[in-house]
Amino acid sequence: MSDEDLWLDGNAIAGLLAELFGIDMTTVDRACATCGRHHEVGAHRLYRGAGLVLRCPSCDDVAMQIAVLPDRRVLTLRGSWTVEVPG
Amino acid sequence: MARAALLGRLASRIRWQVATVRDLREETAETRTLVLDVPDWRGHLAGQHVDVRLTAEDGYQAERSYSIASAPESPKLELTVEHVPDGEVSTYFVEDLLVGDRFEVRGPIGGHFTWRVEDGGPLLLVAGGSGLVPLMAMLRHRAARGSDVDARLLLSARRLHEVIYRDELAALGDVGVSITLTREQPDGWQGFGRRIDAEMLEAVGPPPASAPRVFVCGPTGFVEQAADLLVALGHDPGAIRAERFGPTGG
Repeated sequence: MSDEDLWLDGNAIAGLLAELFGIDMTTVDRACATCGRHHEVGAHRLYRGAGLVLRCPSCDDVAMQIAVLPDRRVLTLRGSWTVEVPG
Repeated sequence: MARAALLGRLASRIRWQVATVRDLREETAETRTLVLDVPDWRGHLAGQHVDVRLTAEDGYQAERSYSIASAPESPKLELTVEHVPDGEVSTYFVEDLLVGDRFEVRGPIGGHFTWRVEDGGPLLLVAGGSGLVPLMAMLRHRAARGSDVDARLLLSARRLHEVIYRDELAALGDVGVSITLTREQPDGWQGFGRRIDAEMLEAVGPPPASAPRVFVCGPTGFVEQAADLLVALGHDPGAIRAERFGPTGG
């Protein structure tokens, strides 16, 4: 299996992100802390291992890490996230 | 109070619901469409997916994501599932599931990989294998709305008998449907017979100058290849939306 087979899109964890944030996160814009480019969360690369890691599709910088533990989820965010919540 | 109502509404959006199988359609030897009844289904956009959850008697649970195949205008929710060798969920869905069976779904999920008639076109859809499913939802939506948005589909499959929705694709009328068969072509085959390349994408069109909305769905390697070719041809990377599926358990 090549590295290429191991990653998907942020879209693939849209359900988990909606559960955590209460809104659809795939259309949320993130500006990368390293390269400065803007991408929607759904367009980020998703790597699944012991946890979940979202990376910038332009420079591979880590955008989000999610550790799923028995009693909680631990999120680490990097970069500039612009989240709009209706209301 | 308004805030509590809003949070309640948001939370309800992704709750698990029970889906009941109303019908099963064999699409190919390895692919089946599940026609589902989901009470309180709140509608979806073409391109979205659902999470499904199966629970065994001993409490063991398995979760997967499947693209929605039906148009938003369809009265029933339809998922098309391809059998993944040794995949526990897809094997159950394709081989064992019966009309009347129930399982849990939540969704619709994901606003990134979606298209509505109002978004306009031209539309360029590029599918690898069962990556056709969410793109078919877009074409069904377009047809249901009587839209005349310029739409082209390029589908890459290994063999003709592995092409899902074959009859429906042939009857799409004004959609430019191109199929490439990468492994084996029947006698007299009029379509392409190789892996996707720049020349093929140029022949399918529409040209980058017409600024099409591009949706690519398939296995990760296929999507990478297609996206690289499209960008090299001059398509705006920001106008290319991709959905990859990989070896995530099936």
